[in-house]
Amino acid sequence: MTEKRILYSSEILPEFDRKFFESDDIATVIGTGYLGGKASGLILMKEAVADSFKSDSKQVISVNIPRLIVLATDVFDAFMDQNNLYDMALSEAADDQIAHAFQEAKLPVDIVGDLMALISAVHSPLAIRSSSLLEDAIYEPFAGVYETKMIPNNQPDKDSRFRVLIEAVKFVYASTFAQNARQYFKALGRSLAEEKMAVIIQEVIGRPFGDLFYPHLSGVARSYNYYPTGRAKQEEGVVDLALGLGKTIVDGGLVWTYSPTYPRLAPVVGSTAELVKKTQTEFWAVNMGKPPEYDPIRETEYLIAAPLKRAEEDKTLGLLASTYRPQDDRLVTGTGPDGPRVMTFAPILADNIIPLNETIKALLKKSEAVVGSEVEIEFAVTLNTTGEITANLGFLQVRPMAVSKAEIMVLDEEMQGDKVLAASRKSLGNGVFNNIEDIVYVVPETFEAAHSRTIAHEIGLINQELTAEGRKYLLIGFGRWGSADPWLGIPVVWSQISGSSVIIEATLPKMNVELSQGSHFFHNLISFKICYIMVEHTGPGLIDWTWLESRPEKLRTQFVRHVCLEKPLTVKVDGRTGRGVILK
Amino acid sequence: MGNEKINPYKMAQAQFDKAADLLGLEPNVRELLRQPLREYQFVIPIRSVDGDVKVFKGFRVQHNDALGPCKGGIRFHPLETIDQIRALSMLMTWKCAVVDIPLGGAMGGVVCDPHTLSTKMQERLCRGWVRQMSKNIGPFTDIPEPDIMTNPQHMLWMLDEYEVLHGGRYPGAVTGKPVTVGGALGRTEATGFGVVYMLREALKKLKLKPKDTVASVQGFGNVAQHVIRLYEQLGGKVICVSCWNHHDRVAYSFRKEDGLEFKTLLSITDDFGEIDKDKARDIGCEVLPEDAWLEQEVDILIPAALEYQIAMNNVESINGRVKIIAEGANTPITDEAEAVINRMGILVIPDFISNSGGVICSYFEQVQSNSNHYWAKDEVFGKLDVKMTAAFINVCELAEKRGINLRDAAHLIGVARVAQACRERGWI
Repeated sequence: MTEKRILYSSEILPEFDRKFFESDDIATVIGTGYLGGKASGLILMKEAVADSFKSDSKQVISVNIPRLIVLATDVFDAFMDQNNLYDMALSEAADDQIAHAFQEAKLPVDIVGDLMALISAVHSPLAIRSSSLLEDAIYEPFAGVYETKMIPNNQPDKDSRFRVLIEAVKFVYASTFAQNARQYFKALGRSLAEEKMAVIIQEVIGRPFGDLFYPHLSGVARSYNYYPTGRAKQEEGVVDLALGLGKTIVDGGLVWTYSPTYPRLAPVVGSTAELVKKTQTEFWAVNMGKPPEYDPIRETEYLIAAPLKRAEEDKTLGLLASTYRPQDDRLVTGTGPDGPRVMTFAPILADNIIPLNETIKALLKKSEAVVGSEVEIEFAVTLNTTGEITANLGFLQVRPMAVSKAEIMVLDEEMQGDKVLAASRKSLGNGVFNNIEDIVYVVPETFEAAHSRTIAHEIGLINQELTAEGRKYLLIGFGRWGSADPWLGIPVVWSQISGSSVIIEATLPKMNVELSQGSHFFHNLISFKICYIMVEHTGPGLIDWTWLESRPEKLRTQFVRHVCLEKPLTVKVDGRTGRGVILK
Repeated sequence: MGNEKINPYKMAQAQFDKAADLLGLEPNVRELLRQPLREYQFVIPIRSVDGDVKVFKGFRVQHNDALGPCKGGIRFHPLETIDQIRALSMLMTWKCAVVDIPLGGAMGGVVCDPHTLSTKMQERLCRGWVRQMSKNIGPFTDIPEPDIMTNPQHMLWMLDEYEVLHGGRYPGAVTGKPVTVGGALGRTEATGFGVVYMLREALKKLKLKPKDTVASVQGFGNVAQHVIRLYEQLGGKVICVSCWNHHDRVAYSFRKEDGLEFKTLLSITDDFGEIDKDKARDIGCEVLPEDAWLEQEVDILIPAALEYQIAMNNVESINGRVKIIAEGANTPITDEAEAVINRMGILVIPDFISNSGGVICSYFEQVQSNSNHYWAKDEVFGKLDVKMTAAFINVCELAEKRGINLRDAAHLIGVARVAQACRERGWI
């Protein structure tokens, strides 16, 4: 296991100067506490990015870290103390109630002037991002637990912009105490009171296209691939790309996943027509137009999920998409012919019109060297298509990955026979577990995608009980765990399955989708050392449903069954081969 | 304690003359600006509950309204004089101009001791003052606000009388109202917090961090309390506070070398800002003579009580460690004492930028009241900070450019802006 934790105090950055935007500095801090994990990661990469990827006119792709202003953790402390918020925050109040209480509270008086000055100087969209003490630390995997809010920041009146900014800061603060975060702390056996939140205020990478603002593409790249397919190797990493804001990737939506060693290879699916169905159909953008309904406690208050058609109208698809030709069931690079557009990023990845893949590989390598472990990075890219094609890549985040390298052997003969409850050649994670006596599973006979939200709720309630008792369990369900689209799987959030130790993602004839490979909870699964096993009903993996059915039931809800075993299961997952087996 | 023979109006005029010299103002401009545009002196007969009629002397001086409607306080004080009111109205003109708010300067008052008047009498006095002035004040002419010994309740009575006389609702006619009836959030804290915004910028200029500094404060009223509160939040340590003791009729300085914590101090203080002497001893304070606050070995002195507290008789007792004096009160340093302070190399943040948070917030209240739309506290303090910091930076830049102190630079900016407005209006 590689260990790394990045955390800087405010002293590493220059104090915020109200003329910051007139200077060449790319980072500054308001306050005197810590910068939090996310901000620290970016600061760590600042010089490496500047040295290795000089943003001069000769580069086809210029790489930079968007300017950031960090509100250090002491600002959060002052906010909590001055408004006496801890009682409310640590109570059992609902997320909305906590968020409302935070909106009513006042920011520390000594920083509001800086925020007012900041907002007076910037008129482009801003991302208000969490950067907590424990976030992105290797053994405290809070990645993606806390909220980010994007704001258009285009109102002519600076007072309106200021109001929206401070609402967004309070929204991010409130997310520290949301149900989701609480479940993480419970799972870790830590106290929520330990957590402190810094906030990053950063310009959003993108361009205005009418009343929308978005980057041509966003991406997440990992230098270690837990589930390589075909010729790809784990050490070669994996990249997810999406049109528009990175929210599509973070939320586990449909994205384009490829190996940086084989950028031309499409994901393995049955047919081109099937591939078309499994690619992005809508994208996220910042709403720069008509003000939305006022709702400061909603993450997507100023975001819009737009259809691909809109991107075509904006002429942003030309270098990103392919076109499907149904007559011969194949894809043509680009948007020349008429037909359904498919987000394959082929002009860039296959035709290499800009060396994006090479840049990503170089960034991964550099980030690994700087961080000292396998890494996950996030970025966004805008393309300049007038004249020679060039691109600007904004480096948004780096976080160390926890990679288990213990050697576990799962032999072919172990994967067959009466003792096997489940077996698969598509498993994530690495290790042996002998402590699971509870199984929570979605009953295949009664499963219906139409009821997937109810199923998520039922699982959440059982999870709550098992977590309270400190019992780890095996979870089995159908379709993509954590899917934002309830028709593609069970739309749980992490807090609803946080107590699970092993998760099986299975298919059924009535839920026959491309499995998520754990992508929705990727970092968390791995950091919590949770094994993720994929079993397709078409084989070759298996689940012994008959045996499961015969186990005495502790609880039966409308769609979910909870059974307790007399003796614990043995779970073995070989991270190198992807083989996993659960023995009765 | 300071020199009581000073004529404040003459002192204000002398300061103006100095600025006028530096600016090379023409004689007619000087003549216009070194005296008020309008003065109102009147009497207010008030019938008491037992039928007696008492007659009070009232004032309103509107020094200059070239930049916008006049703005200034109303004081109730038994020793009030027309010269004091004139001086303060002039100071308000420069103060509004230097912090760049579109208002002119005014000041008013009544010669009375409100402690000896019943609540009913105070209400009648407020209403009587408005009856005398109602044609010459209003949301777009002259907007009163509280000052010494007047409070939000007094302002509300005044507004109510004004609205009765004018037949409508004019919430922007008076500021400093209770928050429940059109007052601005943040008004209570504004002056004190504003002093600290200036102090913070001055510390940056001297490359000092608040957490590495120690301060001594004169006064523990509203301004001083909010100064101490925010300074402490920034990491600074207050080791000495002086305040008036009503019973002994003398001021004391309370010192605690390892720091006076604001919350603890507040817990042993009454509603008038008077720290309980015995309880102070209980929490480990030394109780020292009134001027001891000035003699402390600290980096920062904050006079936030009354006028002329640092004068020739005590200026020499300032400790050599002091680097900054931030004036929370109006004119706490006499001209002669300031000359000595300048020679000591101490940076003085002059009153009319240092304590301008109050008038800026009053201006915010006027704007909010006129539009009948009220801002959140975050927004008020955000705007206040930006306005004050910008003013401080402007004043510092001019001071450095011309090799003068901050007070002269602030005067220069204020006077120049008003003179320019007079010229553009075609008055001169």
